Amino acid sequence: MLFRNKTITSVLSLSLVATLALAGCSSKNDKNGNEASKPADNGQASEKASEKPAKDVTISYTIWDKNQQPAMEAIAKEFTAQNPNIKVKVEVIPWGDYWTKMSAAAPAGTLPDVFWMHGGQFIKYATGGFLEPITDKVQSGIIDLNNYAANLGSIYTLDGQNYGIPKDFDTIGLAYNKELFDQAGVPYPDDTWDYNKLAEVAKKLSQPDKGIYGFAAKMDTQTGYWNDMLANGGHILSDDQTKSGYDEPASIEALKFRYQMTLDKSSPTHQQMTDTDSTDMFKSGKLAMIFEGSWRNGDIDSSEIIHGKWNWAPLPKGKVKRGNIINGLGNVMSAKGKNKDESSLFLQFLGSKRASEITAEMGAAIPAFNGTQDAWVKSKPDLNLQIFIDQVADAFPYPSGTKAYPVWFAKEPEIMSQAWGGAISVEDAAKKVADMMNQAIADNK
Amino acid sequence: MTSHTLSSKRTNLVIHAVLIAISAVMIIPFLWMILTSVKTPMEATQIPVKFFPSILKWNSYSEAFKQSSFQYYYFNTAFSAFMKTLFPIIFSSMAAYAFARIQFPGRSICFFLIISVMMVPNPVFYTPQYMMMNKLGLVNTVTALWIASLISPFATFLLRQFFLGISKELEEAAILDGCNPFQIFWHIMLPLVKSALVAIVIIQLLWSWNELQWPLIINSSPEKLTLSAGLATLVSKFGTNYPVLMAGAIMAVIPMIFLFFIFQRRFIEGVAFSAHKG
Amino acid sequence: MNEGVMAMNTKSRYAWAYVMIAPTLIGTLLFWSWPAVYSIYLGFLKSENFGLVNHWVGTQNYEKLFKDQEFWRNLRNTLFYMVLFVPLTLVCSTVLAVLLNAKIRGRSTYRVIYFLPQVTMPAAAAMVWVVLFAQDYGLVNYALGTHVSWLSDPRFAMYSLVIVGVWAAIGFNMLLILAGLQGIPRTLYEAAEIDGAVGFNKFRYITLPLLTPTLFFTTIVLMIGATQVFDSIYMLIGKTNVALPAVRSLVYAYYQNAFVYYDQNYGAAIVNILLLVNLVLTGVQFLFQKKWVVYD
Repeated sequence: MLFRNKTITSVLSLSLVATLALAGCSSKNDKNGNEASKPADNGQASEKASEKPAKDVTISYTIWDKNQQPAMEAIAKEFTAQNPNIKVKVEVIPWGDYWTKMSAAAPAGTLPDVFWMHGGQFIKYATGGFLEPITDKVQSGIIDLNNYAANLGSIYTLDGQNYGIPKDFDTIGLAYNKELFDQAGVPYPDDTWDYNKLAEVAKKLSQPDKGIYGFAAKMDTQTGYWNDMLANGGHILSDDQTKSGYDEPASIEALKFRYQMTLDKSSPTHQQMTDTDSTDMFKSGKLAMIFEGSWRNGDIDSSEIIHGKWNWAPLPKGKVKRGNIINGLGNVMSAKGKNKDESSLFLQFLGSKRASEITAEMGAAIPAFNGTQDAWVKSKPDLNLQIFIDQVADAFPYPSGTKAYPVWFAKEPEIMSQAWGGAISVEDAAKKVADMMNQAIADNK
Repeated sequence: MTSHTLSSKRTNLVIHAVLIAISAVMIIPFLWMILTSVKTPMEATQIPVKFFPSILKWNSYSEAFKQSSFQYYYFNTAFSAFMKTLFPIIFSSMAAYAFARIQFPGRSICFFLIISVMMVPNPVFYTPQYMMMNKLGLVNTVTALWIASLISPFATFLLRQFFLGISKELEEAAILDGCNPFQIFWHIMLPLVKSALVAIVIIQLLWSWNELQWPLIINSSPEKLTLSAGLATLVSKFGTNYPVLMAGAIMAVIPMIFLFFIFQRRFIEGVAFSAHKG
Repeated sequence: MNEGVMAMNTKSRYAWAYVMIAPTLIGTLLFWSWPAVYSIYLGFLKSENFGLVNHWVGTQNYEKLFKDQEFWRNLRNTLFYMVLFVPLTLVCSTVLAVLLNAKIRGRSTYRVIYFLPQVTMPAAAAMVWVVLFAQDYGLVNYALGTHVSWLSDPRFAMYSLVIVGVWAAIGFNMLLILAGLQGIPRTLYEAAEIDGAVGFNKFRYITLPLLTPTLFFTTIVLMIGATQVFDSIYMLIGKTNVALPAVRSLVYAYYQNAFVYYDQNYGAAIVNILLLVNLVLTGVQFLFQKKWVVYD
């Protein structure tokens, strides 16, 4: 009896070792799988779809913005209502971890079935063969990229292949706290404002001893100094995307202008904004003005403290023009998903007018589908959301679209934070960023 | 009353004062965690510091639970901690016994191969292990959390020390009775090192429960994360909403603290025990 | 020992031995030894497309590393952390262990309290330290009446990390040392008392020498742990903290390069250097142990 016991244990351990050893063999299969999923084999998936009997599957849909989760779940629900055999699981990986995780999942073949794509990351994933092309659907007219605003469809096109369906677009606005303006008897921001006016009013509205500040001169790119740099006539990247624009005098001037506000006490310090997120400060009524993206609208308005007491205005004008960044997110699907037919159906639904309408009605983001933007503008009638649509005309496309972007974008904040934290001068930081970007561009030709 | 007892009483008082002061430093972070978790975000960042919230606000807990996948974090953490404790115990004690008692050819080289990896800092393994998991198709799976830790060179080393310290007489009798080495190990030797096994269980459990970097690297989907990595995600999700972050932190540490309070003597003796032979 | 009996079934005993060590040996070779060797190989490669394409580039990664001032700073940070953390933990743990070794009331309660940080996961503990260390509303500044930015001022951040590290490590190491203390025979103290030794002298001439083997072991474990500091930097300092360059350890730099900047080879080069540092440190420890460790 005792004998049997220990035999079992040793057999168990041996078989476990055997399993581990055998598991090593599967690496070869993986390579084949990898070959098979190169972009070349497009088209077959959708044909098969009609022949196969419907089986129950669950596909994963991964996004990075938890504020949009309810809207995405509502879309998924409606999709499942139409396709009862396909369930969609919406997962949120926060932006801070999203690309680290995706770059891990890509070579492993474990990308989510369908997921949000960002213009800056797209090329890396498309050239690697990790995304399923949708070119045949575009050509056959199942998907019409002309349906989407501002030529957004072109973002997710590489070498004549289409990979993504535009989901939404976003621009930047100036959010302001009406109550703090009223208390100081200062008129609200409007489209006549320029940067000097912004700085002047920010100074006037600041009461550092009470922890109240006029403006959040935060160290941020898309909702921060990129807008300033563009407005001042500077660049983020040269037009042919081969050289950094951070070290142009106009860019440096804009950066300095912003940083100066943290020194003038018209803005919280970088430290304060690290300890408390600046948008959270705005939400708790401690900030009079902040640049934010249209995607944060619902989140800001959910604050009980400032609900009904705030609004949006266009960004101030700079020396040269009004700066703004437009970016469009896309939905893409993995080339290695297990349920590509079903994923493809869902992807198509995400690009439908109905999905855009749900996005708009729930106020999640400005939907990409033409004619649905109005519903978004009206989703919060007391807020002037029209400014986001109007600023599309001034807006500059998000400076992604090169293989080097993910590299320099990951390194940029660390250098700039040295300047915002006061360890090095803004000028030195800008030059360092420029060198780093130029190096990244050279390395990723 | 002699002056001797008086001075020793005073010494005692000083000692207690020191010990209590340090106790406070040890405990305050926990108290602050709890207090912050029931404040509003405003109260948590109020100037000057507000010690007690005006009303107890419990919804940070439900918020943290809803916005992340705590039920998965708990399961994944507990399951991988279980695997990373049970298997190393079995495998290491077997190997340790063989190394301690059987003069088989190649013994030194095998032992050296095993303990040499103890000298290597963990991060050295991560990239290659990551690539290996990748080839096995295990990236972003619960299996990846524990598969590489089914063995423990440290436990093997420690247990070998214990086996070396046990007298050989018991075994000799068993050999005469015709027992094979595994039977001797299982029936005679293993019960003798019970306290060492407990020590290793505790150390393995603590280590795997708390591990951050590997889960962070290998897994991404919320339902594949451990508590540690899940907390890191919570930070990037909630930024500086401290009540929610603290609620998440409390939910993550409660199970281990609970276990600790139940088995505190075992924990403390276990750790102390491992020192004897280390 | 009866050699005859032992020799009886030598062959079957050997067979059993191989079976018994097999899981551990195979597991170690497969999951630990091979990766360690592979990491060294990776340091000589340049990978593209998420690591699916690799080229041999010789020592290029190391050349880049040695030219990178950041790397030298990270190495210095790692060693500086160790130099602060290890002695401080040792001293605090030893003092507490000695105090608790006396017959005082509430010993077990103190032990439980001091061990509490050890059962708290570092990620969770770090989160509360962020709140405690906050400049404006943090309890630390409130209690000290200061207005220091503990985690974002490059002058202080390293010390804050060390404080958190020591806070977490004291309990465990105190127990190890306490166990060592309790292994010292009472009779030695009694003999010393007869010779007129009191208080500190007893500690200096009896306790400390007999404690050296435990201290030696503890030091090595602490040193190896200190060179791998990551969790607290990841959770307490963060990516856009101005103090990051002042505290960034080699392991943090490895994580950034390998998993955030997508350069696994540069990352591998960094940890390979860390391996070298560890081997040198441990080697030095063993060389010098004769000078101060007393074995009876």
